[in-house]
Amino acid sequence: MRISDLKISISGIRGIVGESLTPQLIIKFSEAFSTYIGGGKIAVASDTRPSAEMLKNAVFAGLLSCGASPLDLGILPIPSLQIYTKEKNLDGAISITASHNPVEWNALKLIRKGGHFLSPLEAEELLDVYYQGRFRRIEKPEKVEKEDEPFAIHEMKIRQFVNTDLIKGRKVKAVVDPCGGAASPYVQKFLEALGAEVVCVNCDLVEGFPRNPEPVAENLGDLCRAVKKHKADIGFAQDADADRLAAVDERGVPIGEEYTLALAVDYFLKAKEKSPVVVNLSTSRVLEDVARQAGVKLLRSKVGEINVTRKMGEVGSKIGGEGNGGIIVSDIHTCRDSFSGMALLLESLAWSGKKLSELREELPDYFMIKHKVKASFREARVILHKVSQKFREGEVQDIDGLRVDYPDFWLHVRPSNTEPVVRIQVEGKSERVAKEIFAKIMKEI
Amino acid sequence: MRDRLRISVSGIRGEVPGALNVDVASKFSSAFSSYLEEGQIALCRDPRCSSRMLEMAVFSSVIACGLDCANFGMLPTPFLQFLMRREPFAGGISITGGHNPLSWNAIILLDTGGDYLDVSEGSEVFNIYEAGVFNNVPWKELGHPQPKTFPLDLYLREIADIVDAERIRKMSYKVVVDPCNGAASTYLKDFGEFFNLDLIPINDDPEKPFPHPPEPSVENAPQVEAVVKTTGADLGFLLNSDSSRISFVNEKGEALSEEMTFPLCLLSLEGKINKAVTTTVTTSWADWAAQNIGVILSRTKVGQSSVVHIMESEGAEAGGEGSGGFCLLSFSLGYDSLLTLALILDFLSREGKNLSELVQPFPHLYRKKAKIDVPPERTYRIMDKLEEIYCKENPDYTDGIRVERKGVWFNIRPSLTEFVLRITIEGEKEEEVGSIEDELMDRIGL
Repeated sequence: MRISDLKISISGIRGIVGESLTPQLIIKFSEAFSTYIGGGKIAVASDTRPSAEMLKNAVFAGLLSCGASPLDLGILPIPSLQIYTKEKNLDGAISITASHNPVEWNALKLIRKGGHFLSPLEAEELLDVYYQGRFRRIEKPEKVEKEDEPFAIHEMKIRQFVNTDLIKGRKVKAVVDPCGGAASPYVQKFLEALGAEVVCVNCDLVEGFPRNPEPVAENLGDLCRAVKKHKADIGFAQDADADRLAAVDERGVPIGEEYTLALAVDYFLKAKEKSPVVVNLSTSRVLEDVARQAGVKLLRSKVGEINVTRKMGEVGSKIGGEGNGGIIVSDIHTCRDSFSGMALLLESLAWSGKKLSELREELPDYFMIKHKVKASFREARVILHKVSQKFREGEVQDIDGLRVDYPDFWLHVRPSNTEPVVRIQVEGKSERVAKEIFAKIMKEI
Repeated sequence: MRDRLRISVSGIRGEVPGALNVDVASKFSSAFSSYLEEGQIALCRDPRCSSRMLEMAVFSSVIACGLDCANFGMLPTPFLQFLMRREPFAGGISITGGHNPLSWNAIILLDTGGDYLDVSEGSEVFNIYEAGVFNNVPWKELGHPQPKTFPLDLYLREIADIVDAERIRKMSYKVVVDPCNGAASTYLKDFGEFFNLDLIPINDDPEKPFPHPPEPSVENAPQVEAVVKTTGADLGFLLNSDSSRISFVNEKGEALSEEMTFPLCLLSLEGKINKAVTTTVTTSWADWAAQNIGVILSRTKVGQSSVVHIMESEGAEAGGEGSGGFCLLSFSLGYDSLLTLALILDFLSREGKNLSELVQPFPHLYRKKAKIDVPPERTYRIMDKLEEIYCKENPDYTDGIRVERKGVWFNIRPSLTEFVLRITIEGEKEEEVGSIEDELMDRIGL
């Protein structure tokens, strides 16, 4: 079976430049988006991938064709774009970024009025418009306008949210690695504005990314070394579109994305506000411990930012996120935002007076394995069925793939929304348990 | 008709939205870029709002195929052709509706050197377009934008090499100009200063819509005529939206037919050229002017690309058309209105006469141009019928059918740019022209 690298789905459109992602496709998709939301002011921003120039011009052409007035925000993190869209009351936005995917990929992510991603239902309707190919083209296209300070609103909101004097008073020193991505032009000044002393690595815009943009431990060598060298209190790694965050402790050891989220939530519940916590089905159990300790509820949603934020809205949650380092602080905006995450962690160091490794030690240990296998849709169904037969005794949830909970471990197997793969996650109370269960799953498939 | 794309060697043309849209523009540019394979493409556009949009689709598609793109933004097409004659671009793309109404636009392809594609090259691009398989390259090989600005100084200096610039400057001509809010608007001031003109611009804001159809003709001249009269100017002129064509208004405020442009240019070049090319529908004034100065004139099909290609193959130094376009091979491979303007100023200053005095010796001719809407699928049959009727009169088939009678000639041909039949009749007697028009209408019998 041939599996295309092109993925047109409710998450947007994603592919490899030069193979599947062509200007014609991008134009058509942007025309569909403009038609679907009925024109209006639409912001466009990109990360730092070299293909952004090609995609952006195609996006503008498509938007103009169907009556939109595009606003060029240049290079901008995706949370900043979402916040800008909300605060300026725009009709929509398009982010040109393949997020944590390698540099040869690119994608369009679609944002609706209010600064949230399209809901699955809205995205389905958009896809209908796209496939029908009947676009509302107009006679007199508008012009593209430019915004010179697109990051200002985001920065202002966070500065009002944290106690910068506290951070300054404790002289917190941070190293940040934005992976030469969308945060690069802004992050150093941002952290300085919060009162931290800042060293930046991989901040320069280079042709391609200086490291793999996914902020997982094996990609953070530069950051870990820099934290030790500069005797910093904390290291921050962002992905290319700066929605995800992973922290490194003062010894230069990555604490992992799951614990980055856990520490941010823990601090929020202790120092800011008691509120129900919402995370997705793949997020570590450590969040359950954090919530229990604070005496608040923990709820789980399907994977995907829009699913988490909708659930947060339903239950009135102020804090939540996804275990891959996506921290959501709804007072800033209900979106995954590495900047909000950094602000919380900096303040937490200053507030507690503890080292990051100490804060991490206070939380229980879990061991997680994340893995993906290539699989077509049919293969994915077969895999899910096989695994479900093998793990019948546990507590099963099937709103998003298959999650099964046992006292000592849980597993989550689900087809990806963005790639032709099945994602497999296992978390155990020890490395031994996790590896055992993982081996058992892999044997089945 | 709205959804019909007009395809010719020089590019594609259609109404926006409709036949011409961002999708078609993108595919067409991808096909052209795939055809060229490598190098740098020069890109420019006219001020139409749809041009800005199409420009982005074109730019994206060019760099997606790995070619660098020097995007000049709004620039007259002749400027791009001037530059391409002097710099090694692999090809050029101009997004301009030229003389077509505002709702139209076109994507014009230029070969290296600024020339139009010839038929075999053009059809190769269309083959790639139809097959839909383009050379899209991986991210590392994507083309880059090449920031460039147009060397206006060089352009003006090279015009000055052709004319007697000092003589023109001494005359301090007062000139009214109507660039139709087109691409040349922003360059006219420098042109005026260079030739020491007292320049009075009207309709020179490219942000505004066209004040009248962007065609330099007598019908579109009333504003210029009025301003020439009230300001006592020596001369007025009108440009089309991409500054390739031009027509003139004399010192009395009377618009001259755009058919005058080409013969006047020939006269201005007396002693400097030996051969010239025009089309089968251009006025007989062209023959008169050519004979006057001993120039051999040959005629070809209508359209800039055929005129320029014949100029090249026959080694003719000059070429032009009755629509107000004039080309000098040593300067560039396309019609250039500002060069044409300089030639006329040169002519005026050399003869020390007014424009009305210069056209005084032209023989009296009556002309009728008409167009008849015909759907493309009927064109062939109508032309076939006319051929049968007129074959006894020994017609010329260079472009459609051209019949010569004593003291009068007429030509009927399908348009390259619109879905119409174009009729041109020219003769010494007005009533004769009128009766031929009746005869043709009757025989076409729609």
